[in-house]
Amino acid sequence: MDAWIDFARGPLFRVALVICLLGLAYRAGTTVYHIVTSWRAAGDRSLPIRGIVRATLSWVLPFRLLRARPVYSAASVAFHAGILLVPLFSIGHVALWQADLPIWWPTLVPALATWLAVVAAAALVMLIAIRVGARTARSLTSAHDQGVLLVLLAVTASGLLSAHPGWCPVDARAMLLAHLLLANLTLVLTPTTKIAHCIVFPFMQLLFEVGWHFPAETGRHVAVALAKEDEKV
Amino acid sequence: MPISCSYYLEPVDTGDLPRRFLEAFAAILAHSNYAPVLDVLSRVSAHCGRCAVTCPVYEASGEERDIPCHRSELLLKVYRRYFTAAGAIRARFGAPFTLTEAHINMLAEDVYRCTACRRCKNECPLGIDHGMVTHLARWVLAEVNIIPKALKVAVREQLDGKTHNTSAIPAAAMIDTCEFLAEDCRDTYGFNISFPIDREGAEYVFFPAVSDYLLEPDTLMGNAAVLTATGASWTIGTQYFDGINYGLFYSDRMLDRIVSKEADEVRRLKAKKVLIGECGHASRSAKFFIKTFCGGEDAPEVVNIMEYTLRALRDGKLRLRPDSINERVTYHDPCNIARSGWIVDQPREILRAICEDFVDMTPNGRDNYCCGGGGGSVSIDEIRPFRTRVGGATKAEQIRRTEATILVAPCANCKKQLREVCDDNGLGHVKVVGLHDLVLKAIEVPEFMRPAAATDEAKEG
Repeated sequence: MDAWIDFARGPLFRVALVICLLGLAYRAGTTVYHIVTSWRAAGDRSLPIRGIVRATLSWVLPFRLLRARPVYSAASVAFHAGILLVPLFSIGHVALWQADLPIWWPTLVPALATWLAVVAAAALVMLIAIRVGARTARSLTSAHDQGVLLVLLAVTASGLLSAHPGWCPVDARAMLLAHLLLANLTLVLTPTTKIAHCIVFPFMQLLFEVGWHFPAETGRHVAVALAKEDEKV
Repeated sequence: MPISCSYYLEPVDTGDLPRRFLEAFAAILAHSNYAPVLDVLSRVSAHCGRCAVTCPVYEASGEERDIPCHRSELLLKVYRRYFTAAGAIRARFGAPFTLTEAHINMLAEDVYRCTACRRCKNECPLGIDHGMVTHLARWVLAEVNIIPKALKVAVREQLDGKTHNTSAIPAAAMIDTCEFLAEDCRDTYGFNISFPIDREGAEYVFFPAVSDYLLEPDTLMGNAAVLTATGASWTIGTQYFDGINYGLFYSDRMLDRIVSKEADEVRRLKAKKVLIGECGHASRSAKFFIKTFCGGEDAPEVVNIMEYTLRALRDGKLRLRPDSINERVTYHDPCNIARSGWIVDQPREILRAICEDFVDMTPNGRDNYCCGGGGGSVSIDEIRPFRTRVGGATKAEQIRRTEATILVAPCANCKKQLREVCDDNGLGHVKVVGLHDLVLKAIEVPEFMRPAAATDEAKEG
């Protein structure tokens, strides 16, 4: 078991992390590349940069989010807080980071990390339930959407149980192995599923704004491509 | 299977329709900036449904197909299957989605239930602009001739007809109307206004929604009163005088051709700027797309008449009598000028200068609710019950809550829609007017506009 655990948090983790980082870099890079090429092709290159930055920043803090659908939004905030803070700053995870990167890293008080994880897990259960139960979300939710949430729930719950052997109904070492494997899976899924929004979020407002800035010859080129240059309305 | 929608269509050739739809989609993606947007959107959309709670159409209809994200999925499904590698791989190994006439029909129906107000964009944490996806879907549909007949017929007259405007008003009739309005203003309000025609070298060429010449005499008289009182250098061109641009609602190709006509008229008259009348979509299409399609930084500057009026008021060139309007007044923000924050405060400042009792709706400005006739749907008379009782239901409630008897809507389309919304929702006592209709009543007329002074000037001349 220990050999498997060492493998999962050693070489497997490194491979998953590299896939995650390279994948996210690819996503960010291609998004920025497309924004730049679209902007260069645009007939009107003036952009309301201040408005774009303001719109982007307005969603970084949760206040605006909570104005509509407060229950769903609160669950979303709690879930995001947990899955961002605990993997990066809990003592156990920091030890893992520091094994490879000999750098100082702040840590969360263990009790706070536990609470964040518990709240995140509860929020994930709530989000999954709302997606099944609420009419607006149900019709939009795909298997992909629920699958991603279930993986995140599994990794959060397994992490919580492995960190608290007293709560764990099975062998804590087995739970730790499950957590490590699920965490590695999550790293791989990050750039390849909709979790990639974590890296493209800062560019989204700009991307859509540039999308409205059409190339000057768009209409004429489309007309030529469809052999409609001389077609009457 | 024929294409059948709740709006009238000209005959659609359904032969090989899915293939032709995909060809059009491919051509548009190849020559526009939409592909990167769809690429990112198809990967990261959270499908959270938050857009549903901000959409007035969904709020009133409660139908899943009116959830903005749901509507966008109709096009994204096609994009993922036919324009991404993952879609091609999935098609090889699974049961793929196949584009059918039925799917195209569903798309055609649903994208014209959206008013393209883009309120959902402001409430999406990821900034997803479902209005843009609707806009794109309409263009693809237009290339296979699925366009509401009302919009297409209007654009046909504007681009290929004899009169070059959507209301089919001959230039001579437009000039007659201007002369009539000048007389009417003198008779009714007691002062002279002028409508300079084809004056070369003017600073502004004026493009109101052409329907104003038929339906909104007070708005036009108010516009002319402000321009005359402030000594503006302006003119109306006889070769092209229509601000309306339904290309914005269904085809970027038409949008390009129509704004190019405005820019061409400005150049023909050796003028400097485009002055757009009270019309939301005409203002947005000119402001944001003349630069795009007509020369970038060299394109003529675009000014909305409300911006002009406010500047004149602030500069002291225009004087308005305070408290000229005693009834309770409220203001409707046309989405096309308010959603981006372009024209929100300007009309309010003018209204506060002349109204004794001005009340705002809640929410307003960038977060306003659409009148329900956006995206060109106001011109589709056959869907009036949907427009006024579903699309306009939230707006009707907003108006009711203000207890106003005058509703100012500085947009030809919004005015038509709001009159119908008021009629169909028990608000028949509310008068729907343009901003300059009220300015006309509040203007402090300079002496040179008084008939006697004008006669003296003529004599001296």
